[in-house]
Amino acid sequence: MTTPASKTTPVPGDSGGPGGSPRPKELTDLAVMIGGQGGDGTLTVSDLLGRYFRKRGLYIYTSRNVLSRIRGGHADATMRASRDPIAAVKPDVELIVAFDKEAAEIGRAELSADGAILYDSSAFKLELPNAIGFPFATLVGGAVGQPIFKNTAAYGAISVMMGFDPAQTRQVIEDRFARRGGEALEKNLKALEIGRKAALETPGLADRWHVADGEAQHQILTIGNQAVALGFVVGGGRFFAGYPITPATEVMEYLMRYLPPFHGVVRQAEDELAAINMIIGAAYAGARVMTSTSGPGLSLMTEGIGHAGTAEVPILVADCQRVGPSTGEPTRHEQSDLAHLAHLGHGEFPRVIVAPGTVEDCFEITVDALNLAERWRLPVILLLDQALCQNTTTAEPFNLSKVTVDRGVRLTAEQVAKLDVYQHYQFTPNGVSPYAPPGTPGIFSQVTGNEHNEMGHVSVNPVNRVKMMEKRMGKLRHIVPELPVPHLFGEETAKIGIIGYGSTFGPIREAQATLERAGTKTRFYNARTLFPVPVESLDPFLTSVDVAYVVEHNYTGQFADLIRGALPQHFRKLRSIRKYDGDSFRSPEIVAPIRGGK
Amino acid sequence: MVQSVKPVASTWCPGCGDFGVLAAVKKAVAEAGVPVHEEVLVGGIGCSGGIHNFIETNGIHALHGRLLAQAIGIKLSNPQLTVIAAGGDGDGYAIGMGHFMHAFKKNVSLLYIVMNNETYGLTKGQASPTSQIGYEGNIEHPFDAILTALSIRVPNFIARTFSGDPKTMTQVLVEAIKFNRANHGFAFVEDLSPCVTYNDTFKDWRARVVDVATLPGYDPTDRQTMFRLCVETMRAGKIPIGVMHRPAAPDPNSPGLELKLLPDKVGPARAEIDLASNRAAYEKLLRAVA
Repeated sequence: MTTPASKTTPVPGDSGGPGGSPRPKELTDLAVMIGGQGGDGTLTVSDLLGRYFRKRGLYIYTSRNVLSRIRGGHADATMRASRDPIAAVKPDVELIVAFDKEAAEIGRAELSADGAILYDSSAFKLELPNAIGFPFATLVGGAVGQPIFKNTAAYGAISVMMGFDPAQTRQVIEDRFARRGGEALEKNLKALEIGRKAALETPGLADRWHVADGEAQHQILTIGNQAVALGFVVGGGRFFAGYPITPATEVMEYLMRYLPPFHGVVRQAEDELAAINMIIGAAYAGARVMTSTSGPGLSLMTEGIGHAGTAEVPILVADCQRVGPSTGEPTRHEQSDLAHLAHLGHGEFPRVIVAPGTVEDCFEITVDALNLAERWRLPVILLLDQALCQNTTTAEPFNLSKVTVDRGVRLTAEQVAKLDVYQHYQFTPNGVSPYAPPGTPGIFSQVTGNEHNEMGHVSVNPVNRVKMMEKRMGKLRHIVPELPVPHLFGEETAKIGIIGYGSTFGPIREAQATLERAGTKTRFYNARTLFPVPVESLDPFLTSVDVAYVVEHNYTGQFADLIRGALPQHFRKLRSIRKYDGDSFRSPEIVAPIRGGK
Repeated sequence: MVQSVKPVASTWCPGCGDFGVLAAVKKAVAEAGVPVHEEVLVGGIGCSGGIHNFIETNGIHALHGRLLAQAIGIKLSNPQLTVIAAGGDGDGYAIGMGHFMHAFKKNVSLLYIVMNNETYGLTKGQASPTSQIGYEGNIEHPFDAILTALSIRVPNFIARTFSGDPKTMTQVLVEAIKFNRANHGFAFVEDLSPCVTYNDTFKDWRARVVDVATLPGYDPTDRQTMFRLCVETMRAGKIPIGVMHRPAAPDPNSPGLELKLLPDKVGPARAEIDLASNRAAYEKLLRAVA
């Protein structure tokens, strides 16, 4: 990183005007928040900036703050661009683009010391020292005829403030609007020039920040929900049923596009009860299946997950956690379903909970989860969270190098023909009975949620009950070597441990870097299997550290509690860093308690 | 010959109306030419829902009220299977009502038999959605599934049968199964199946059933006519039975949902999912993510 020159050294480009910075500040990491009323086109500005920065080889991470409504109301997006890989919201923002007052009010707290607020002065007035007003709507309304293009004008002004290459700035507009046809493109280009001109004519505005180019041009731009959908397809998933629910719906939407060419079926069900039972039926018949949902839907699906557990039907349930309980905050972030999932359902049955930490991991773990479900014939929960599901991020292109499809003991008609007897619930050493799909000539099967004997006949025989319970529950012991292993970061000798799962991955990695720079070494246990609690890896990890902070988004410290229950010998080492305001962690919120020894 | 699951002795009370359904299903499946291993019976919860245990067939015992969702999942997963869902009036019209209504609109080619006894037999005689006013203190109005089914404008097969007339029931079920096997869509048959222990209506129903085919103007291709005939019959204190709706002719543009989704009838359960056979298509799919 270039060392910023002191203010006393005059440099080319120093305009020195009011509200302007003395020279371009060279950055390797920058964030812009764009906010306004729904319909103001704030997301378009974020998209245009993202496109530009990607052309310059930067990593992108965009979070959104939207309300659960179609139109109107305040919405904002914060786009981060960095030369280094990122998977977190930046703790501060350099620039706020405000199309409404709320944007400035919400964003101000995170505005960096030399940050600026660029606002639409044709709509309102901001009396703040670092606010720069442009009458975007009026300017554009007069010249283009439609004030709606103010968002593109704002992009133009930003391009000047950040010293964008003019040709590439224009190219971004052409790329984005080419498909919409001549008039839309022409108007957007006009709006771009209006924004650029206004910014160039304002003293002290140009070249406030420069972001150095990066080398991430090869990366794709995606969200966790897309990675899950793609992982499902390449992992052999062929039947999906779901019910629209924020923040899980994109999984279904992507699969509606992806699955049909592969003899796949995607159905939107009448409710989550139907969705879970449709996938149970489809899995019983022999397909690899999944549903995706969020808290309220998960509550309804609980009945079906228990049924799949005892009937031994392999299903995958993706839970994109949001703020609960009840309707909670549909568009906001939380990790508060884990306690429910670990103990979910009446009665006892085996279930596995796996959790990816990055979008790349979403792709990978979805494939693993499909294999686990079918090999062990039990329900697997893919635990996600709103930030991981929906925040847009650059990622390594997905590839097939780690993809394997393992269906476990699935009998062909030829294999069945050689058997003396086929029992759907046959006792075996690891609890998994060989599976032959219905339609296999020469045999029948009976599958039921009633307690049953090996043949599938209903049974209340106490001896059978005990054997069946041990068969099903024993899978949780035998499956352990196949469960996703944690990813560990930091030196093995570090005495401070950090434990987290899901989207806390990014903020924890940044917190580690900050602590490292200050001389504090930490070791991060990124849990990828949450249940059964991975004691085989957690025990040595906790033994190796003096203290371990469990970072999670809920009030009660659900993951910490699960770990305490499974490893009571480490009870005293476990601390908890919790956040439950509906927003994701910023790294300083993890650094501070660790530094403070809290 | 591989030994696999065999039927068990029925748990029903002697004289139960469900025996009529059991016998009719066995006969109809054979008569419709269903290969035995391709038959799947999906049972609901309640006395009637145990039916899959009493027939030599593939079976899945669903959750209470959820049998249609599971049956739809099975058929869309493997359209080659002949899927019959069977349960009671509480299962279908109370806890499963949402799925019941949507089964008509989804129009997946499977047969749904509701054994309607106007009571919750297994839990010892509480009022069900179809119970008459006065039954066990019931003060709510009974629900009529045939009138409801007729109101949904989808080319389904709709009929009502009576366990006291197993011969007609068999004929109706054969037609329904053939309708399904031709991928024409959903078939719904409500069978009046008295509970001899908690609501023995055999005598009463035998005296009141009227085959709608005997009524002047009978035309099962016309919903309006059939709705009118049913209402008039009910007004006269009788119970309409018989084929209530069948499309005039198969509509090539509106086949069962499984055929719309899977024209070659190779569904998710039989799709090749190994990496080798899909590698090129997967790589293309992943490359398209920019």
